[in-house]
Amino acid sequence: MEAAEYVAESPAGGPDAVAALLPMVRRIVAARVADATAAEDLVQETLVRVLTASGRVEPGMLEPYAIATARNVVATSWREQDRQRRNQHRVVDLRVPDPPDGELLAAEERSAVAEALTRLSERDRQALLEHEVSGRDTRALATELGSTAGAVAAQLHRARARLRVEYLLARDRVEPPTERCRPVLFALSSGDRRRQREVDAGRHLLECDVCATLSQPLLERAPQRDDEVRIAIGADADVVAARQAARDLAGRLGCFSATDLTLIATAVSEVTRNIVKFAGSGEVVVEVLDHPRKGVQVTARDAGPGIPDVERALQDGYSTYAGLGLGLPGARRLMDEFAIASEVGRGTTVTMTRWCGQR
Amino acid sequence: MTGPRLVSILRQGSYLIASIHTALDDTQMTAFQDDLVERIGRDRARGVVIDVAALDVLDSFATRTLRTIGEVARLRGAVTVVVGIQPEVAFAMVALGMDTGSVHTALDLEEGLAFLDRVVGSRRPVTTLRGGAG
Repeated sequence: MEAAEYVAESPAGGPDAVAALLPMVRRIVAARVADATAAEDLVQETLVRVLTASGRVEPGMLEPYAIATARNVVATSWREQDRQRRNQHRVVDLRVPDPPDGELLAAEERSAVAEALTRLSERDRQALLEHEVSGRDTRALATELGSTAGAVAAQLHRARARLRVEYLLARDRVEPPTERCRPVLFALSSGDRRRQREVDAGRHLLECDVCATLSQPLLERAPQRDDEVRIAIGADADVVAARQAARDLAGRLGCFSATDLTLIATAVSEVTRNIVKFAGSGEVVVEVLDHPRKGVQVTARDAGPGIPDVERALQDGYSTYAGLGLGLPGARRLMDEFAIASEVGRGTTVTMTRWCGQR
Repeated sequence: MTGPRLVSILRQGSYLIASIHTALDDTQMTAFQDDLVERIGRDRARGVVIDVAALDVLDSFATRTLRTIGEVARLRGAVTVVVGIQPEVAFAMVALGMDTGSVHTALDLEEGLAFLDRVVGSRRPVTTLRGGAG
């Protein structure tokens, strides 16, 4: 009792008594923890705890309390170490660290997007920002603009398509060389096939290198269509590839006989050879048609020298190389519809269709 | 050339049997023509069978090439017969307005060899190894 009174009565005795425990605590901890620095940390922590508790501890019990506390502190540190070891793999950052120029590229991206945004019309920009940044839905925007949700969605679709085009232009810092570039790129970006036909996008891409390069990402983001095949033509082997692709696509329709398929493949072979022979390069697009009947349409276009006398080229036996002169007239006989548009110096487009069913 | 062979030219007695195994592009077709014409001289062939059964398309260029081979072979003293034109291919050739000119045709390899035996054999009896001809 006296000791208790002594501790209680002399407030200075608390810290002193605790300090007296230091060597013993050190011994206990050192016996369990090898690392000197870690051990010292634990010793300090033990003493702090003992000190805060010293007022509550019965006199004479301070030493056993300190021993128990030291053991607990050590045990806790082991548990923590163990937990850390077990969870260490979770904090490993497996992401590739940003490349040193990452920031710069990101800044360029940002400025390209910002630049592209400024090139949009005020109305498109507002709608886009309201929707994408402020997160307002199309219905809310529609009531505000006195329009319908569908119309707003369509407008946003166009604005995004335009933004993609302007972004690509701003990113590559190019100015479209012709007036046709923007409409063509926009048609490709929006994925509107009717519009693409209207602006004759395929032909423009053959003629304009800038657009051919810029359009790559736009074409890649378009969903892969299974009712259309596009084959770039540049060598003899592509003639075979084109006619096989046409046969495959037409065959999938299921309405053509084996003979029909061979006729189509032969016609494709003839017009594709003309591209290789006279223009060097071009493209062949094979599409499935649904209206007015099922059928296939083949478009073969090049940006070559063009045909000076289309009428003559369509006559049997007219050949400018050592052929049979049956290419174009033959292909015309093999298909149901056949149209040729050629301009000297600009190139040639042959469009031919074969409908399902008996002729 | 890599991969499986596109064409094969086999000697059978005094005949050459040339088979096209897959679709050929124009360059390959021309190479085939040159090889075959060269083999006619080297093997002193009197008859040539060209088997096109594997071709799904005989367009104007392929037809022209076959005609050229036939004409050149004739000038070199060999008779050429094209065999195995598929029915659909024949339709397409008719629609396209093509024929094989002076080159003979036969239904299949067997008919082609029989034809050569008649034509070449009538001029000069030839002892041919007919094994595996069918």
